Amino acid sequence: MTTDDAQVIGLTLGTATLSTLIIFPFGVALAWLLARKEWPGKSLVETLVALPLVMPPVATGLILLTLLGRRGPIGVFLQNAFGTEIVFTWKAVVAAMAVMSFPFLVRTVRLAFEEINPRLEHVARTLGASPLRVFTTITLPLATRGMVAGAVWAFARALGEFGATVLVAGDIPGRTTVMSVAIYSDIQLGDDGHAYQFLGVSAVLAFAAILFSNQFSRWGGAR
Amino acid sequence: MKYIPLVFLMLSLLTPITIKADEVDVFAAASLTDALKEIAADYEKTGGDKIIFNFAASNTLDMQIKAGAPADIFFSADEAKMDDLAKQGLVEKETRKDLLSNSLVIVVPADNPVKLTSAAQLADPKFAKIALGQPQSVPAGIYAKAYLQKIGIWPQVEARIIPSESVRAALAAVETGNVDAGIVYKSDALHSKKVKTAYEVPVAEGPVITYPAALIQGSKHEDAAKKFLDYLATSSSLETFEKYGFIPKG
Amino acid sequence: MRFQCRRLQLRQGAFLLQVDLEITGQVIGIFGSSGAGKTSLLEVVAGLRRSAAGFIALDDHVLMDTSARKFLVPEQRGVGYVPQDLALFPHLSVRKNLLYGHSHATLSSRVDLNHVAVVLEIESLLDRSISQLSGGQKQRVAFARALLASPRLLLMDEPLASLDQELKSKIIPYLKRIRDEFQIPMLYVSHSPEEVTQLCDRVIVMRDGKCLRISRPEELFEASTSMALKPGVYDSER
Repeated sequence: MTTDDAQVIGLTLGTATLSTLIIFPFGVALAWLLARKEWPGKSLVETLVALPLVMPPVATGLILLTLLGRRGPIGVFLQNAFGTEIVFTWKAVVAAMAVMSFPFLVRTVRLAFEEINPRLEHVARTLGASPLRVFTTITLPLATRGMVAGAVWAFARALGEFGATVLVAGDIPGRTTVMSVAIYSDIQLGDDGHAYQFLGVSAVLAFAAILFSNQFSRWGGAR
Repeated sequence: MKYIPLVFLMLSLLTPITIKADEVDVFAAASLTDALKEIAADYEKTGGDKIIFNFAASNTLDMQIKAGAPADIFFSADEAKMDDLAKQGLVEKETRKDLLSNSLVIVVPADNPVKLTSAAQLADPKFAKIALGQPQSVPAGIYAKAYLQKIGIWPQVEARIIPSESVRAALAAVETGNVDAGIVYKSDALHSKKVKTAYEVPVAEGPVITYPAALIQGSKHEDAAKKFLDYLATSSSLETFEKYGFIPKG
Repeated sequence: MRFQCRRLQLRQGAFLLQVDLEITGQVIGIFGSSGAGKTSLLEVVAGLRRSAAGFIALDDHVLMDTSARKFLVPEQRGVGYVPQDLALFPHLSVRKNLLYGHSHATLSSRVDLNHVAVVLEIESLLDRSISQLSGGQKQRVAFARALLASPRLLLMDEPLASLDQELKSKIIPYLKRIRDEFQIPMLYVSHSPEEVTQLCDRVIVMRDGKCLRISRPEELFEASTSMALKPGVYDSER
């Protein structure tokens, strides 16, 4: 394992972690709104959130590139407001991972909220708790397992993200080359052996993530 | 009347032979896309076999052929990839011809028509992002890096390179305006209205670019492929290539 | 307590709850077969469902008045609610369940934890988790939790419906204790003549979302052991 390899793995883990941390509060909030409330535009939002699951990742990547590029609405805004550019930097990697893994987080957490008996929340209100107190003392604790599972799934999806990432961040060694992209370009170069090494690391990480998720739900269930 | 079933049976036995007009699978470098499509259309119009294309960066095609993809002809943008296949015994050596050359240009987005008097000006930091084909694998990228090293500015620009999967991808990056400049073939620059040529690398100063074409070993359509390969070397085809910005060889 | 429930209108699909009544009593039963709207009425009184129109008041305390655009949210109503499935918080201990609504109650009206625990005989259970309780114990904890929020009114939705006869007869005394010891008025939903007769001083009879009549329990049921409904109970009459 060379330092370059370690850099690739480090970049992959770092961007996936950051991506998961960023989407977590939004994902949980949206999941709760979808689980508990009716509101105008709800099915439109549901569809939008599910799109990255259904569309080819490169199609999502193309949309991101159009929005975040130098001439895209968000790209222009970021240039004017903060003087930064996102495409072809690690920030674009995080953006692609965030968009692609967001639906996984929302779906899992929404299910967790829906499984909570609404009467528990009702009784808590009659006992004098404000909706916020109900959320923090009743809903969140009961949804913890689901939230952890959602985060793990989102993280694992981010680790494996390729199609959108390669379009919007490219394959720039040391800056945007994550593991999936490294495997791809190794194959392009004919360096299959090296690609298999990354494949091994990928498999180990995926295995670890699923193992952790299973163990956590078992531990939580023993309560 | 009672012979009709027999007639149908015989016809049905013949159909596989007659309907199977030959097809030729051509794996060609991305930069050849438009020129080859026009040449193939002319070929088919004059009664030639159907040509099926797979356009990609030459290193990708190299990898695909090695993995067993069904190619009849390989038309590469550099000799290295053709040599690589030849080493593995995948090329019919006697059919190999060096058909074309090309030249490099520096392009910029059409709405930012910068003109350069020398390629060394790329070292200016205002070119924050420069698109090339992958400098380790894509022929256009290898040629570009060789040239930048030759004029001595590679160390300054190396960190600003945005590697692309093929020369057409590099061109596309310049077209979208997401990079400040790109190095592509002259034939690519001519193809696109969304980029302007900022500098043409004189052929004498640039790297030697060679596009070899050859038949692949074990091709299932050898005769048809040979016919098309020969057609590519005719003067009408070379004229078409020239129209698209290539430099016919020999 | 004087309980006013005027011009209530709640539509849910094909079902329409329409209640307009005023009744005074300590333990007011709500009697009717399933689908009559008993639970919906409780939810509207608790503020968990919103009636399109109407006026609800407990003595002088107005919970809702559409003509005055007043609607108290559940946490402000002081209405305790014990649903049929008890809804004990599974992730909290018995003690934490009991105390959930306790700090909210104002100091002067606070019911005391120890007092309630003694009356309902749950002192030894305080540090257990909910999953460790028996059916009857869960029942008493659910009552205690609602009491400890010092409610103005307790809503009980068929509290004994899922219990067997033996357990029922064991729990009814506790309900009587709540009625007598803590003097908190109750709206008691049930389809059991026995419970209604033992606990309630007035009964609202409901059918198809409407209040048919208000009676005393003895006017509704035969005095025999079968406690069958007297004929004509479900005929509209007020």
